Amino acid sequence: MESNASQDELIIQQHREIEREISDTIKLIGEKENLSTLKNEYINDPVYQKKILDLCNKYENIRRTRPDGNCFFRAFGFAYLEHLLDKKDQYERFRELAEKSKDQLIALRFPKFTLEDFHDVFMEVVNAVGEGGEERMSELYRMFNEQGYSDYVVVYLRLIASAHLQEKAEFYQNFIEGNRTVIDFCHQEVEPMYKESDHIHIIALSSALDVGIRVRYMDRGDGSEVIAHDFPEGTAPRVHLLYRPGHYDILYEKNPSS
Amino acid sequence: MSTPARRRLMRDFKRLQEDPPTGVSGAPTDNNIMIWNAVIFGPHDTPFEDGTFKLTIEFTEEYPNKPPTVRFVSKMFHPNVYADGGICLDILQNRWSPTYDVSAILTSIQSLLSDPNPNSPANSMAAQLYKENRREYEKRVKACVEQSFVD
Repeated sequence: MESNASQDELIIQQHREIEREISDTIKLIGEKENLSTLKNEYINDPVYQKKILDLCNKYENIRRTRPDGNCFFRAFGFAYLEHLLDKKDQYERFRELAEKSKDQLIALRFPKFTLEDFHDVFMEVVNAVGEGGEERMSELYRMFNEQGYSDYVVVYLRLIASAHLQEKAEFYQNFIEGNRTVIDFCHQEVEPMYKESDHIHIIALSSALDVGIRVRYMDRGDGSEVIAHDFPEGTAPRVHLLYRPGHYDILYEKNPSS
Repeated sequence: MSTPARRRLMRDFKRLQEDPPTGVSGAPTDNNIMIWNAVIFGPHDTPFEDGTFKLTIEFTEEYPNKPPTVRFVSKMFHPNVYADGGICLDILQNRWSPTYDVSAILTSIQSLLSDPNPNSPANSMAAQLYKENRREYEKRVKACVEQSFVD
Protein backbone atom coordinates (compact mmCIF):
# COMPACT_ATOMS: atom_id res chain seq x y z
CA MET A 1 0.00 0.00 0.00
CA GLU A 2 2.76 2.40 1.01
CA SER A 3 4.75 1.80 -2.16
CA ASN A 4 1.61 2.24 -4.26
CA ALA A 5 1.01 5.59 -2.68
CA SER A 6 4.55 6.80 -3.30
CA GLN A 7 4.38 5.51 -6.89
CA ASP A 8 1.23 7.58 -7.33
CA GLU A 9 2.98 10.61 -5.92
CA LEU A 10 5.86 10.22 -8.38
CA ILE A 11 3.45 10.11 -11.29
CA ILE A 12 1.58 13.13 -9.97
CA GLN A 13 4.85 15.01 -9.59
CA GLN A 14 5.83 14.20 -13.17
CA HIS A 15 2.43 15.42 -14.38
CA ARG A 16 2.94 18.65 -12.47
CA GLU A 17 6.28 19.25 -14.17
CA ILE A 18 4.81 18.76 -17.63
CA GLU A 19 1.92 21.07 -16.77
CA ARG A 20 4.31 23.73 -15.51
CA GLU A 21 6.35 23.57 -18.68
CA ILE A 22 3.23 24.06 -20.79
CA SER A 23 1.94 26.92 -18.67
CA ASP A 24 5.30 28.67 -18.79
CA THR A 25 5.47 28.60 -22.58
CA ILE A 26 1.91 28.82 -23.95
CA LYS A 27 -0.55 31.60 -23.08
CA LEU A 28 -4.06 30.67 -22.04
CA ILE A 29 -5.30 32.53 -25.12
CA GLY A 30 -2.73 33.58 -27.70
CA GLU A 31 -2.55 36.47 -30.16
CA LYS A 32 -4.25 36.22 -33.53
CA GLU A 33 -1.80 34.68 -36.01
CA ASN A 34 -1.87 34.22 -39.74
CA LEU A 35 -3.06 30.74 -40.58
CA SER A 36 -0.02 30.14 -42.76
CA THR A 37 1.96 29.72 -39.52
CA LEU A 38 0.57 26.17 -39.43
CA LYS A 39 2.49 25.29 -42.62
CA ASN A 40 5.79 25.55 -40.77
CA GLU A 41 4.60 23.14 -38.13
CA TYR A 42 4.03 20.33 -40.61
CA ILE A 43 6.75 21.07 -43.09
CA ASN A 44 7.55 17.43 -43.84
CA ASP A 45 4.03 16.18 -43.68
CA PRO A 46 2.25 15.94 -47.05
CA VAL A 47 -1.11 14.91 -45.56
CA TYR A 48 -1.29 17.91 -43.26
CA GLN A 49 0.14 20.25 -45.90
CA LYS A 50 -2.82 19.49 -48.17
CA LYS A 51 -5.27 20.01 -45.40
CA ILE A 52 -3.72 23.29 -44.33
CA LEU A 53 -4.04 24.49 -47.91
CA ASP A 54 -7.74 23.68 -47.81
CA LEU A 55 -8.08 25.43 -44.46
CA CYS A 56 -6.29 28.52 -45.79
CA ASN A 57 -8.95 28.87 -48.51
CA LYS A 58 -11.64 29.29 -45.90
CA TYR A 59 -9.92 30.87 -42.92
CA GLU A 60 -7.60 33.80 -42.39
CA ASN A 61 -6.34 33.51 -38.82
CA ILE A 62 -5.80 31.19 -35.93
CA ARG A 63 -5.61 31.92 -32.21
CA ARG A 64 -3.91 29.26 -30.16
CA THR A 65 -5.03 28.17 -26.72
CA ARG A 66 -3.13 26.44 -23.96
CA PRO A 67 -3.43 22.64 -24.15
CA ASP A 68 -4.43 22.07 -20.55
CA GLY A 69 -7.57 19.99 -21.04
CA ASN A 70 -9.73 23.10 -20.78
CA CYS A 71 -8.99 24.30 -24.31
CA PHE A 72 -12.45 23.64 -25.76
CA PHE A 73 -14.27 25.58 -23.06
CA ARG A 74 -11.72 28.37 -22.96
CA ALA A 75 -11.53 28.69 -26.75
CA PHE A 76 -15.30 28.75 -27.03
CA GLY A 77 -15.70 31.31 -24.22
CA PHE A 78 -13.19 33.69 -25.71
CA ALA A 79 -14.25 33.27 -29.35
CA TYR A 80 -17.94 33.73 -28.63
CA LEU A 81 -17.50 36.80 -26.44
CA GLU A 82 -15.18 38.25 -29.07
CA HIS A 83 -17.84 37.56 -31.70
CA LEU A 84 -20.38 39.43 -29.55
CA LEU A 85 -18.24 42.58 -29.25
CA ASP A 86 -19.98 44.25 -32.20
CA LYS A 87 -23.33 42.42 -32.18
CA LYS A 88 -25.63 44.20 -29.80
CA ASP A 89 -28.71 41.98 -30.24
CA GLN A 90 -26.90 38.69 -29.91
CA TYR A 91 -25.02 40.10 -26.95
CA GLU A 92 -28.19 41.13 -25.12
CA ARG A 93 -29.75 37.72 -25.68
CA PHE A 94 -26.66 36.01 -24.31
CA ARG A 95 -26.32 38.34 -21.34
CA GLU A 96 -29.89 37.62 -20.30
CA LEU A 97 -29.44 33.88 -20.70
CA ALA A 98 -26.22 33.99 -18.67
CA GLU A 99 -27.90 36.04 -15.95
CA LYS A 100 -30.77 33.57 -15.65
CA SER A 101 -28.60 30.47 -15.77
CA LYS A 102 -27.70 30.86 -12.10
CA ASP A 103 -31.20 30.07 -10.84
CA GLN A 104 -31.43 27.21 -13.27
CA LEU A 105 -28.26 25.69 -11.86
CA ILE A 106 -29.35 26.22 -8.28
CA ALA A 107 -32.63 24.48 -9.11
CA LEU A 108 -30.54 21.50 -10.24
CA ARG A 109 -29.01 21.48 -6.76
CA PHE A 110 -25.58 22.82 -7.56
CA PRO A 111 -24.28 24.28 -4.27
CA LYS A 112 -25.54 27.86 -4.12
CA PHE A 113 -22.68 29.32 -2.15
CA THR A 114 -19.88 28.36 -4.52
CA LEU A 115 -22.01 28.66 -7.63
CA GLU A 116 -22.64 32.33 -6.90
CA ASP A 117 -18.92 32.94 -6.78
CA PHE A 118 -18.40 31.48 -10.25
CA HIS A 119 -21.48 33.19 -11.63
CA ASP A 120 -20.38 36.61 -10.31
CA VAL A 121 -17.00 36.34 -12.03
CA PHE A 122 -18.58 34.99 -15.22
CA MET A 123 -20.98 37.95 -15.35
CA GLU A 124 -18.12 40.35 -14.68
CA VAL A 125 -16.45 39.09 -17.84
CA VAL A 126 -19.71 39.09 -19.84
CA ASN A 127 -20.47 42.64 -18.69
CA ALA A 128 -16.99 43.81 -19.64
CA VAL A 129 -17.86 42.85 -23.23
CA GLY A 130 -21.05 44.93 -23.17
CA GLU A 131 -19.78 48.05 -21.46
CA GLY A 132 -17.00 50.40 -22.43
CA GLY A 133 -15.61 51.36 -25.77
CA GLU A 134 -12.49 50.72 -27.79
CA GLU A 135 -10.62 48.99 -25.01
CA ARG A 136 -13.15 46.14 -24.68
CA MET A 137 -11.18 43.80 -26.92
CA SER A 138 -7.95 44.25 -25.00
CA GLU A 139 -9.87 43.93 -21.73
CA LEU A 140 -11.35 40.62 -22.90
CA TYR A 141 -7.91 39.41 -23.92
CA ARG A 142 -6.45 40.48 -20.58
CA MET A 143 -9.18 38.74 -18.56
CA PHE A 144 -8.86 35.50 -20.50
CA ASN A 145 -5.14 35.46 -19.82
CA GLU A 146 -5.56 36.10 -16.14
CA GLN A 147 -5.92 32.71 -14.49
CA GLY A 148 -8.43 33.89 -11.90
CA TYR A 149 -10.96 35.14 -14.45
CA SER A 150 -10.17 32.69 -17.21
CA ASP A 151 -10.51 29.55 -15.12
CA TYR A 152 -13.70 30.74 -13.46
CA VAL A 153 -15.23 31.25 -16.91
CA VAL A 154 -14.19 27.71 -17.81
CA VAL A 155 -15.67 26.33 -14.58
CA TYR A 156 -18.95 28.11 -15.20
CA LEU A 157 -19.22 26.91 -18.80
CA ARG A 158 -18.53 23.38 -17.59
CA LEU A 159 -21.35 23.70 -15.08
CA ILE A 160 -23.72 24.94 -17.80
CA ALA A 161 -22.82 21.94 -19.97
CA SER A 162 -23.25 19.60 -17.02
CA ALA A 163 -26.64 21.09 -16.16
CA HIS A 164 -27.83 20.63 -19.74
CA LEU A 165 -26.76 16.97 -19.78
CA GLN A 166 -28.53 16.37 -16.48
CA GLU A 167 -31.73 18.08 -17.59
CA LYS A 168 -31.85 15.90 -20.71
CA ALA A 169 -30.36 12.85 -19.03
CA GLU A 170 -32.72 10.40 -20.67
CA PHE A 171 -31.57 11.46 -24.12
CA TYR A 172 -27.86 11.77 -23.38
CA GLN A 173 -27.70 8.45 -21.57
CA ASN A 174 -27.61 6.80 -25.03
CA PHE A 175 -24.30 8.46 -25.83
CA ILE A 176 -22.46 7.51 -22.69
CA GLU A 177 -20.22 4.50 -22.91
CA GLY A 178 -19.72 1.99 -20.18
CA ASN A 179 -21.94 1.59 -17.19
CA ARG A 180 -21.99 5.20 -16.17
CA THR A 181 -25.05 7.29 -15.49
CA VAL A 182 -25.26 10.82 -16.89
CA ILE A 183 -24.65 12.19 -13.40
CA ASP A 184 -21.52 10.05 -12.99
CA PHE A 185 -20.30 11.20 -16.38
CA CYS A 186 -20.86 14.85 -15.43
CA HIS A 187 -19.03 14.41 -12.13
CA GLN A 188 -16.08 12.63 -13.73
CA GLU A 189 -15.72 14.17 -17.19
CA VAL A 190 -17.55 17.49 -17.38
CA GLU A 191 -17.32 19.37 -14.09
CA PRO A 192 -13.70 18.66 -13.10
CA MET A 193 -11.21 21.10 -14.59
CA TYR A 194 -8.56 19.88 -17.05
CA LYS A 195 -10.78 17.07 -18.36
CA GLU A 196 -10.71 17.02 -22.13
CA SER A 197 -13.84 17.61 -24.15
CA ASP A 198 -15.50 15.24 -26.54
CA HIS A 199 -18.46 15.60 -28.92
CA ILE A 200 -20.89 15.29 -26.06
CA HIS A 201 -19.41 18.29 -24.23
CA ILE A 202 -19.65 20.37 -27.39
CA ILE A 203 -23.22 19.31 -28.12
CA ALA A 204 -24.22 20.04 -24.53
CA LEU A 205 -22.67 23.50 -24.35
CA SER A 206 -23.79 24.64 -27.80
CA SER A 207 -27.35 23.41 -27.13
CA ALA A 208 -27.52 24.90 -23.65
CA LEU A 209 -26.45 28.33 -24.90
CA ASP A 210 -28.08 27.97 -28.33
CA VAL A 211 -24.89 29.05 -30.04
CA GLY A 212 -23.67 27.30 -33.18
CA ILE A 213 -20.12 25.93 -33.17
CA ARG A 214 -18.31 24.67 -36.27
CA VAL A 215 -15.40 22.37 -35.57
CA ARG A 216 -12.90 21.69 -38.35
CA TYR A 217 -11.27 18.33 -37.88
CA MET A 218 -7.68 18.12 -39.04
CA ASP A 219 -6.33 14.61 -38.77
CA ARG A 220 -4.65 11.93 -40.84
CA GLY A 221 -7.89 10.81 -42.43
CA ASP A 222 -8.18 10.39 -46.21
CA GLY A 223 -8.82 13.29 -48.56
CA SER A 224 -7.49 16.81 -48.75
CA GLU A 225 -10.44 18.54 -47.15
CA VAL A 226 -10.69 19.49 -43.51
CA ILE A 227 -14.06 18.12 -42.49
CA ALA A 228 -16.52 20.37 -40.68
CA HIS A 229 -19.03 19.40 -38.01
CA ASP A 230 -21.69 21.82 -36.89
CA PHE A 231 -23.05 21.72 -33.36
CA PRO A 232 -25.98 21.61 -32.83
CA GLU A 233 -26.52 20.17 -36.30
CA GLY A 234 -27.95 22.63 -38.80
CA THR A 235 -27.26 25.76 -36.74
CA ALA A 236 -25.43 28.74 -38.22
CA PRO A 237 -21.94 28.72 -36.68
CA ARG A 238 -20.87 31.73 -34.57
CA VAL A 239 -17.64 30.18 -33.38
CA HIS A 240 -15.15 28.24 -35.49
CA LEU A 241 -12.66 25.91 -33.88
CA LEU A 242 -9.82 23.86 -35.26
CA TYR A 243 -9.47 20.39 -33.81
CA ARG A 244 -6.20 18.55 -34.02
CA PRO A 245 -6.12 15.27 -32.10
CA GLY A 246 -6.44 16.23 -28.44
CA HIS A 247 -6.62 19.99 -28.89
CA TYR A 248 -8.83 22.93 -29.93
CA ASP A 249 -7.73 26.33 -31.26
CA ILE A 250 -9.82 29.25 -32.56
CA LEU A 251 -10.25 29.91 -36.28
CA TYR A 252 -11.27 33.14 -38.02
CA GLU A 253 -13.10 33.03 -41.35
CA LYS A 254 -11.96 34.89 -44.43
CA ASN A 255 -15.37 36.40 -45.03
CA PRO A 256 -17.15 36.23 -41.72
CA SER A 257 -20.92 35.95 -41.81
CA SER A 258 -22.76 37.39 -38.83
CA MET B 1 -1.08 38.91 -1.89
CA SER B 2 -4.62 38.05 -2.86
CA THR B 3 -4.88 35.27 -5.41
CA PRO B 4 -8.03 33.49 -6.60
CA ALA B 5 -7.24 30.56 -4.30
CA ARG B 6 -6.74 32.77 -1.24
CA ARG B 7 -9.85 34.81 -1.98
CA ARG B 8 -11.90 31.67 -2.29
CA LEU B 9 -10.44 30.23 0.95
CA MET B 10 -11.45 33.39 2.82
CA ARG B 11 -14.97 32.87 1.51
CA ASP B 12 -14.91 29.20 2.52
CA PHE B 13 -13.79 30.17 6.02
CA LYS B 14 -16.47 32.81 6.34
CA ARG B 15 -19.13 30.34 5.32
CA LEU B 16 -17.85 27.70 7.73
CA GLN B 17 -18.15 30.21 10.57
CA GLU B 18 -21.53 31.59 9.59
CA ASP B 19 -23.18 28.33 8.64
CA PRO B 20 -21.25 25.53 10.33
CA PRO B 21 -22.32 21.97 9.48
CA THR B 22 -22.92 19.72 12.48
CA GLY B 23 -20.01 17.70 13.69
CA VAL B 24 -17.19 19.32 11.77
CA SER B 25 -15.02 22.39 12.23
CA GLY B 26 -12.03 23.87 10.50
CA ALA B 27 -9.88 26.99 10.34
CA PRO B 28 -6.73 28.20 8.61
CA THR B 29 -3.53 27.98 10.62
CA ASP B 30 -2.34 31.22 12.22
CA ASN B 31 0.10 32.32 9.59
CA ASN B 32 -0.90 30.46 6.46
CA ILE B 33 -4.32 30.43 4.86
CA MET B 34 -3.19 27.61 2.56
CA ILE B 35 -2.93 25.14 5.45
CA TRP B 36 -5.95 24.39 7.60
CA ASN B 37 -6.58 22.36 10.71
CA ALA B 38 -9.90 20.60 10.99
CA VAL B 39 -11.78 18.35 13.35
CA ILE B 40 -14.42 15.78 12.55
CA PHE B 41 -16.52 14.41 15.39
CA GLY B 42 -17.35 10.75 15.06
CA PRO B 43 -20.94 10.42 13.80
CA HIS B 44 -23.60 9.10 16.21
CA ASP B 45 -24.60 5.47 15.97
CA THR B 46 -21.29 4.48 14.43
CA PRO B 47 -18.25 2.97 16.16
CA PHE B 48 -16.56 6.37 15.63
CA GLU B 49 -19.07 8.06 17.98
CA ASP B 50 -17.49 10.39 20.57
CA GLY B 51 -14.14 10.49 18.74
CA THR B 52 -12.60 13.85 17.84
CA PHE B 53 -10.47 13.26 14.79
CA LYS B 54 -7.98 15.87 13.69
CA LEU B 55 -7.07 16.51 10.07
CA THR B 56 -4.91 18.84 8.04
CA ILE B 57 -5.99 20.27 4.72
CA GLU B 58 -3.34 21.61 2.36
CA PHE B 59 -4.38 23.79 -0.54
CA THR B 60 -2.38 24.89 -3.56
CA GLU B 61 -2.81 28.02 -5.65
CA GLU B 62 -4.82 25.82 -8.03
CA TYR B 63 -7.68 25.54 -5.55
CA PRO B 64 -10.61 25.31 -6.31
CA ASN B 65 -9.65 23.92 -9.72
CA LYS B 66 -7.84 21.11 -8.00
CA PRO B 67 -8.74 19.46 -4.69
CA PRO B 68 -6.66 20.01 -1.55
CA THR B 69 -4.69 17.23 0.12
CA VAL B 70 -6.54 16.06 3.19
CA ARG B 71 -4.99 13.83 5.82
CA PHE B 72 -6.02 12.53 9.19
CA VAL B 73 -3.50 13.48 11.87
CA SER B 74 -5.29 11.37 14.46
CA LYS B 75 -4.68 7.68 14.18
CA MET B 76 -7.49 6.08 12.19
CA PHE B 77 -8.70 2.57 11.55
CA HIS B 78 -10.96 2.79 8.52
CA PRO B 79 -11.15 0.89 5.20
CA ASN B 80 -10.55 4.06 3.17
CA VAL B 81 -7.81 5.71 5.21
CA TYR B 82 -4.14 4.93 4.50
CA ALA B 83 -1.59 4.28 7.23
CA ASP B 84 -0.20 7.80 6.75
CA GLY B 85 -3.65 9.36 7.21
CA GLY B 86 -4.29 9.91 3.49
CA ILE B 87 -7.91 9.46 2.46
CA CYS B 88 -9.25 7.48 -0.48
CA LEU B 89 -12.40 9.36 -1.40
CA ASP B 90 -13.61 9.94 -4.97
CA ILE B 91 -14.50 13.61 -4.53
CA LEU B 92 -10.91 14.28 -3.43
CA GLN B 93 -9.64 12.59 -6.59
CA ASN B 94 -11.38 12.00 -9.91
CA ARG B 95 -14.80 13.37 -8.96
CA TRP B 96 -13.56 16.67 -7.63
CA SER B 97 -15.65 19.65 -8.66
CA PRO B 98 -14.67 23.29 -8.12
CA THR B 99 -18.12 23.76 -6.61
CA TYR B 100 -17.07 21.86 -3.48
CA ASP B 101 -15.85 23.99 -0.60
CA VAL B 102 -14.21 23.12 2.73
CA SER B 103 -17.58 22.59 4.31
CA ALA B 104 -18.54 20.05 1.61
CA ILE B 105 -15.19 18.27 1.91
CA LEU B 106 -15.49 17.83 5.68
CA THR B 107 -19.08 16.63 5.57
CA SER B 108 -18.17 14.12 2.84
CA ILE B 109 -15.36 12.71 4.98
CA GLN B 110 -17.72 12.61 7.91
CA SER B 111 -20.17 10.48 5.96
CA LEU B 112 -17.31 8.27 4.79
CA LEU B 113 -16.82 7.39 8.47
CA SER B 114 -20.43 6.20 8.66
CA ASP B 115 -20.38 4.47 5.28
CA PRO B 116 -16.99 2.99 4.44
CA ASN B 117 -16.45 1.66 0.95
CA PRO B 118 -14.71 -1.70 1.54
CA ASN B 119 -14.43 -2.31 -2.20
CA SER B 120 -11.71 0.28 -2.71
CA PRO B 121 -9.63 -0.30 0.40
CA ALA B 122 -6.73 1.87 1.52
CA ASN B 123 -6.41 -0.28 4.64
CA SER B 124 -7.01 -3.88 3.62
CA MET B 125 -7.13 -5.16 7.20
CA ALA B 126 -9.84 -2.66 8.10
CA ALA B 127 -11.75 -3.52 4.92
CA GLN B 128 -11.57 -7.22 5.61
CA LEU B 129 -12.67 -6.91 9.23
CA TYR B 130 -15.45 -4.53 8.23
CA LYS B 131 -16.80 -7.15 5.85
CA GLU B 132 -16.12 -10.33 7.80
CA ASN B 133 -15.75 -9.57 11.48
CA ARG B 134 -17.69 -6.47 12.40
CA ARG B 135 -17.09 -6.95 16.14
CA GLU B 136 -13.34 -6.93 15.80
CA TYR B 137 -13.61 -3.95 13.40
CA GLU B 138 -15.57 -1.98 15.96
CA LYS B 139 -13.11 -2.87 18.68
CA ARG B 140 -10.21 -1.55 16.62
CA VAL B 141 -12.14 1.62 15.77
CA LYS B 142 -13.01 2.19 19.43
CA ALA B 143 -9.31 2.05 20.26
CA CYS B 144 -8.80 4.96 17.82
CA VAL B 145 -11.68 6.82 19.41
CA GLU B 146 -10.01 6.55 22.80
CA GLN B 147 -6.65 7.49 21.34
CA SER B 148 -8.27 10.60 19.86
CA PHE B 149 -9.00 11.97 23.36
CA VAL B 150 -5.32 11.82 24.23
CA ASP B 151 -3.87 13.38 21.04
